[in-house]
Amino acid sequence: MKIEDVVCTFCGCLCDDLVVEVENNRVISVENGCTLANEKFMGDHRLKSPIRREGNGWKALSYDDAIRETAEILLDADRPLLYGWSGTHGEAQSVGVHLAELLGAVIDNTSTVCHGPSIMAIQEVGHPGCTLGQVKNRADVIVYWGANPIDAHPRHMSRYTTYADGFFVKEAFKERKVIVVDVRKTESSAVADEFVKVERGGDYAILSALRAIVRGKRDLIPKQVAGVTREQLFRVADICINAKFGAIFFGLGLTMSPGKYKNIRNAIELTEELNRHTKFTISPMRGHWNVYGSNEVFTWITGYPYAVDFARGIAFYNPGETTSVDILKRGECDACLVVASDPGAHFPRACAEHLARIPTVQIDPHVNATTHLATLQIPVAVTGIDAEGTAYRMDGVPIRTRKLFDGTYPSDFDILGKIYEQVKEVKGS
Amino acid sequence: MRGILNTGRTIRQGSYVERKNSPAYREEAASLHMNQVDMLDLELEEGSHVRVRSDQGAVVMVARPADGLARGEVFVCLGPYANFLVNPETHGTGMPDFKTTPVTIEPTTEQVPTVREIMERYGGVGYED
Amino acid sequence: MTGLLVKNAYVIDPLSGVNGEIMDIAVRDGKIVEDVRSGAVVIDAGGCLTLPGGIDSHSHVCGTKVNFGRYMSPEDMRAGRTARKGAMHVTSGYSVPTTFGNSYRYSAMGYTTVLEGAMAPLEARHTHEEFTATPHQDMLANTLFDGNWSIMEAVRDKDMKRAAAVVAWTLAAVKGFAIKLTNPGGTEAWGWGEDVHSIRDEVPHFGVTPAEIIETMIQANELLNLPHSVHIHCNNLGVPGNYQTTLDTINLAPDLNKDRQSLYLTHVQFHSYGGSTWQDICSKSEDIARAVNARPQVAIDMGQIMFGRTTTMTADGPMEWKLYMLHHNKWSNHDVELETGSGIIPVYYGRKSLVNCVMWAIGLELALLTENPWQCMLATDNPNGAPFVKYPEIIALLMSRKLREYEMKVIDPRTEHFVPLFAIDRELDWYEIAVMTRAAQAKALGITRIGKGHLAPGAEADIAIYPLKPDELDPTVDYQQVMAGFAKTRYTIKRGRVVARDGEVIVEGANSTIWSRSDVPPEYDLNQDPEFVKKFEQYYTVRMRNYPVQDVYLPRGLCIRTEASL
Repeated sequence: MKIEDVVCTFCGCLCDDLVVEVENNRVISVENGCTLANEKFMGDHRLKSPIRREGNGWKALSYDDAIRETAEILLDADRPLLYGWSGTHGEAQSVGVHLAELLGAVIDNTSTVCHGPSIMAIQEVGHPGCTLGQVKNRADVIVYWGANPIDAHPRHMSRYTTYADGFFVKEAFKERKVIVVDVRKTESSAVADEFVKVERGGDYAILSALRAIVRGKRDLIPKQVAGVTREQLFRVADICINAKFGAIFFGLGLTMSPGKYKNIRNAIELTEELNRHTKFTISPMRGHWNVYGSNEVFTWITGYPYAVDFARGIAFYNPGETTSVDILKRGECDACLVVASDPGAHFPRACAEHLARIPTVQIDPHVNATTHLATLQIPVAVTGIDAEGTAYRMDGVPIRTRKLFDGTYPSDFDILGKIYEQVKEVKGS
Repeated sequence: MRGILNTGRTIRQGSYVERKNSPAYREEAASLHMNQVDMLDLELEEGSHVRVRSDQGAVVMVARPADGLARGEVFVCLGPYANFLVNPETHGTGMPDFKTTPVTIEPTTEQVPTVREIMERYGGVGYED
Repeated sequence: MTGLLVKNAYVIDPLSGVNGEIMDIAVRDGKIVEDVRSGAVVIDAGGCLTLPGGIDSHSHVCGTKVNFGRYMSPEDMRAGRTARKGAMHVTSGYSVPTTFGNSYRYSAMGYTTVLEGAMAPLEARHTHEEFTATPHQDMLANTLFDGNWSIMEAVRDKDMKRAAAVVAWTLAAVKGFAIKLTNPGGTEAWGWGEDVHSIRDEVPHFGVTPAEIIETMIQANELLNLPHSVHIHCNNLGVPGNYQTTLDTINLAPDLNKDRQSLYLTHVQFHSYGGSTWQDICSKSEDIARAVNARPQVAIDMGQIMFGRTTTMTADGPMEWKLYMLHHNKWSNHDVELETGSGIIPVYYGRKSLVNCVMWAIGLELALLTENPWQCMLATDNPNGAPFVKYPEIIALLMSRKLREYEMKVIDPRTEHFVPLFAIDRELDWYEIAVMTRAAQAKALGITRIGKGHLAPGAEADIAIYPLKPDELDPTVDYQQVMAGFAKTRYTIKRGRVVARDGEVIVEGANSTIWSRSDVPPEYDLNQDPEFVKKFEQYYTVRMRNYPVQDVYLPRGLCIRTEASL
């Protein structure tokens, strides 16, 4: 059976035009998808049943037992951390937040190690953005800053920017200028009209220089700024000022580099400055397909996009203190529930080591690095394949992912809902 | 040699991300991309094993030449090999310095650990599919 | 269900013509009934003021921009925090509370129905998700058409029926309630960093004017027989001298509907400015009120501002940019492809700012100078003018000249030279307040037909009992008691169930989402229209099949279905 308009649950592009063929509860072909989509949909290597660590080995157990033990672990803990959430649907995230509220836990999502600094910057200066269709239909200048879409968001350029024809831009490839700013050459910088190669750690200085130029202070700019010539900076600034509609997309090259959220703040303020001359927008290249959804869900329930601590009864937020890496680094949490992410692979060593020391329960369809650190893992359906629910694209557009067949696995929502009920029974209402 | 470790996504890393215990994932995640002159200096060929050390410890990876990197710059895709070396300090931002870890690199004949072995070193118990 | 009996209630129910009678209200199965059998739960209202549940006909509480207001404002989240308690979840936020925060605080004030003022169709799913998490009010969504390309193309082609077809398709797809025009034409211009400055300016590239969009949409609305009228946020919001644009807009409104207005103008305070700069800005409330008094086919809401901190948020992107250029605090903007825009900035309205004082006066003047309270609803464009928790204070100001005079002493002393407020003697009575906070809203929104806004048998049992005894109070002097009384009901009853007592919510909510659907003849069904489908696939970044909001997002959807006259 061929299913059209399938939503890809890999990256923040959330492409919704895939054609997927399903046979006997398996995906057998994918059209329109990128390499990442093909691997995701064709993947067939799920954990078969819940497993529990026993001594130096592992044993299978029933879903009911796994759920009960998870509830017990969470109830026993003084300071549980509920981490992950970006790889599941909004309905499950919502149960997660209410579970954290009930437990007095900390709940955090993967923004904490991707665009958390972008959120901090937005909280200082705001965010002039737009939906991706605005860019596709209008933009004549595209800037990728510290981002490598060809590797991380393979269809971003063809669906939304460089190669996407739109209403006011009939022949995108000819009419659009693409600027890439990075510390290294990448596949993406190879297709740029203008590649600005910045010295490591130099983004903040380059952004400041561009702001000065846009403000008309060209005489202040030295011959070279962070490895970039004045001439190139003038050229880039002129391209931006003369754009009819410019769009900046930035990645972890800005959020993880020295300066962190200050880099983003500077980039946003450059965008604001450019709006005094023309139309300019800026958008983070969100990684996981539903990381933005986790920010949205956390925010409407708690008021904060990530790193929410319920220990005081109220919702408390202080990135740097209530963020997962800091909590794990300090060895502060005494149990961890990992949902739909892999901190074992993606957190610094010291954090992963703490996960191995405490009871860690992972809810995830696959065996990953965290599996080896966990005490218990519960396999679930993959949202977008055998489970469905709401996702938020990197620009905030909400799209309902599709279930392609009825599999045998429960969804994150089912499992978390049962854990919530058991915790609620003990904690009362 | 001394270098600065940068990390980021690659399409191969993304492709195998749900099979972290596969040889294909290991091959990508344990690849240390380097400037070719640096490789000559260390007498490394593509595929040579290197011990990469930071203030957090040392892990063995596989050297690969890369065009876009200056001397002293090395790149490893995000994952357990890179993170073995990353310091958890966030300077009050929640975000570690994933893109600027000072490392030293030396040739070695030791084997590259599997993801499972790294997790076991962290105190975990390996799970076999 | 055994039923519920509210005894000894001092009832004001304007839609039923009840004004201050002591009576009993019987409830069964969520509806008002003639009587209930013995054994019903009895609530003794003890002569307290009892009104139909409050209805907010223009508020920003759910959806993309509201949530972004929270997201970007941890300082606002910290300004209003409550812990989990009983049936109540944690809440955060003062001017942009979390969804549960909004819901509990509205409930405490006796509000049972709230209309979200601006939903971008492309992002409708988000609004509906938050509606579900705002569980104690029935929710409705104004749906934005101000910069809709298909609408502007139909307007350009002078094809009113096509415009109606676009509205019908969109409302059905996104489960919206009514047509909203926010700065019509201006939000499209803002896609290029531009704006329109009068209703006769041309929208770049589309060859239409705001006036043409407004006129076409008013007609299209009636062709579809939608419950509500077109709901407009006029061009030039917040600009000195903009009252002329507002008068021009009022003048466009024909009288097409015998049951309600044909054009609803929202937050008119922000659109009633004379002068030409921030130095000589003055009130033109008298001109606006005169126009409204002369035209029963229009209704307005106040858009009152109150002094203090709040967050402004609107689909009017260019306006927020202008405001940012004044405040220089922080600025968010979010344009939505083919449809509309939006912007957010935090603001502080100060008693020391003459401009803010003039704005404050204008809102009150509009309410006091509009002769017929059914034509002027009480609202702050929450949170733009002030968070809705300020409503009780506004009620007190409208009921007491003494309180207004007291305020006059603490605001910028020059204010009185720019506004007529302090020459107005009128003091509204309980009945007029009841009209302006629920009955007029129900009529204007066209939801009396589903039992909203009144307490006659058959109506929804949404009831607010306030700790106020009109017989023992003189609101012109006892304004403190008026404020306290309207801030916290003794009982808020929603569909026959007590949901809040003395300001605390005591049960889990079970709201409905009310939406409109107009059935059009097959030749106007855009799902079958090749041109519409082709353009959709070319220019949107979401596939047409993935665009409609699925039923699962409206667990208790309540559809008002009409037959289009096409």
